[in-house]
Amino acid sequence: MTIRFPTRASTSDQPKSNGKPRPPKYAMLSVAFAIGAIVLFLLASLIDSVQDYSMYILIIGAALLVASWGIYFFVGKPSSKKALPDERENVITVIGCKGCDKREERAFETGDFMFKELGPCAKCSGVSFIKAIYLIPTKKE
Amino acid sequence: MWCYEVVTITQLFDLGGDATSMLFNVIWMVVFFVFILFFNQRMQIITYQRNVEKAVDRLQAMSDKSREDIFKVVKPFNAENADIRASVNNYLEFFTIEPVSLDPFGVLGRLEHILDVRRERSMLFVSQVAPKADKHQKANIEDVIEAATAVNYIYKVIRHYLLLGKKTKSLMIFVQLDMQLPMIMKQAEAYYTAQRTFAAAKPIGDGLGPLVAAKFMVGSPKEAIAEEVVYSQVDVLGRKAYVLKAEGPGGVVGKPGEAVKQLIEKLGGKVNRVIMIDAGLKLEGENTGEVVDGVGAAIGDPGPEKFKIEDACVKYKIPLDAIICKMSLEDALTTMKKEVVESSETVYERVKQAIKERTKEGDTVIVAGIGNTMAVGQ
Ligand SMILES: [Zn+2]
Repeated sequence: MTIRFPTRASTSDQPKSNGKPRPPKYAMLSVAFAIGAIVLFLLASLIDSVQDYSMYILIIGAALLVASWGIYFFVGKPSSKKALPDERENVITVIGCKGCDKREERAFETGDFMFKELGPCAKCSGVSFIKAIYLIPTKKE
Repeated sequence: MWCYEVVTITQLFDLGGDATSMLFNVIWMVVFFVFILFFNQRMQIITYQRNVEKAVDRLQAMSDKSREDIFKVVKPFNAENADIRASVNNYLEFFTIEPVSLDPFGVLGRLEHILDVRRERSMLFVSQVAPKADKHQKANIEDVIEAATAVNYIYKVIRHYLLLGKKTKSLMIFVQLDMQLPMIMKQAEAYYTAQRTFAAAKPIGDGLGPLVAAKFMVGSPKEAIAEEVVYSQVDVLGRKAYVLKAEGPGGVVGKPGEAVKQLIEKLGGKVNRVIMIDAGLKLEGENTGEVVDGVGAAIGDPGPEKFKIEDACVKYKIPLDAIICKMSLEDALTTMKKEVVESSETVYERVKQAIKERTKEGDTVIVAGIGNTMAVGQ
């Protein structure tokens, strides 16, 4: 017995390049079908007045479940596509002085590197330089 | 309508209510067993395949994005209107064949030669696509391209196994792939994030070694030794310390092994101790920035540099100390964390303590800060 499941990439060797998220309406439909199936199952087993048709109700419920499952597997792309790692970082450049204990912090600028001399210090006659550059972790970490 | 149908079916089979329900029970069971017996593996394959497809999509997005980033980084240093797209795409496929190790004699020499040629090709390529960049910028562009190559390679390998699994309908391929995915994705993400750090020329966690070395070297005259390595001779607690690191602030690692060897030879082997500082991989559960002591050549190169240090130290019987700052692969490849910067001070003190405890005044010590010196000057 061979039943061919429609697999997407069997048509081409390249996975589709634009990973569009699964359309939410399909996901909702899938969930709605599953809920409908559960309601039908409950009806069939709990309500006395529909006892006569319980078998049909069960079959319809099963069909809904299968449909829900089918949508889940075969329609659209998976929706849980996390965004790529964030490129915005909170990087701090610490400026110190060789002559005094001045300490200044500012955001990292292109061209900054540790131990880069930044000319005379504003407070004393020493030379100010970049003492450290580091990442301040974002909240989720 | 319902009633109508019910009546028809029962009349059709001419069975009582009990028989109908039994018939449906039997059908139900048959359907159930057919499903379990014939489709369960199919269902498993589909489930695993979906996970892998998700991962491949994500890897492809990363690979595409990192390729775009190369163009962005190279563009300002590029000759007007030059089309670099084709050559960059080509270069991302660049490969290196490891030397044969069936006959291990001289394998490190051969490996070093091949690594040298690779480096030379990489520098040549960067000079072609970014002729206007200076030495340090070129080094950074090299690193950006290397990280993109890593992301691209991971993407291609995972895609290969996905397509192979689909072609052969093999559950084994999907299961193996799916189980390794969390680790693989973590690695790919580390390289991807690393590329952005390189592109912005921020210091990376692996720069800890050079950072500590720079703390000793700052303000002293520097001399070049070996490829892309500089050293200073400084006085530490009355000892003569030769401190070396890769030449910053461009993103290079240099040849610190060659440098240590040359220094030892230059000093006629009269070195009392070699202390190496490097970033080391932490185990899960350990803290980033933990500083630990050990012995041996603390350097994570493919072999040749480590060999040179060990060889030179054995030749002259020089004790070899290692001080390591723990971090994850991701921490090592991406922007230096605050913990690591704080640890660099601890390591600096540890090196001084080691010199104080394990050498006498007037001794000669070599301190080597190993790692990528991106955005760490001296
Ligand atoms: Zn000052």
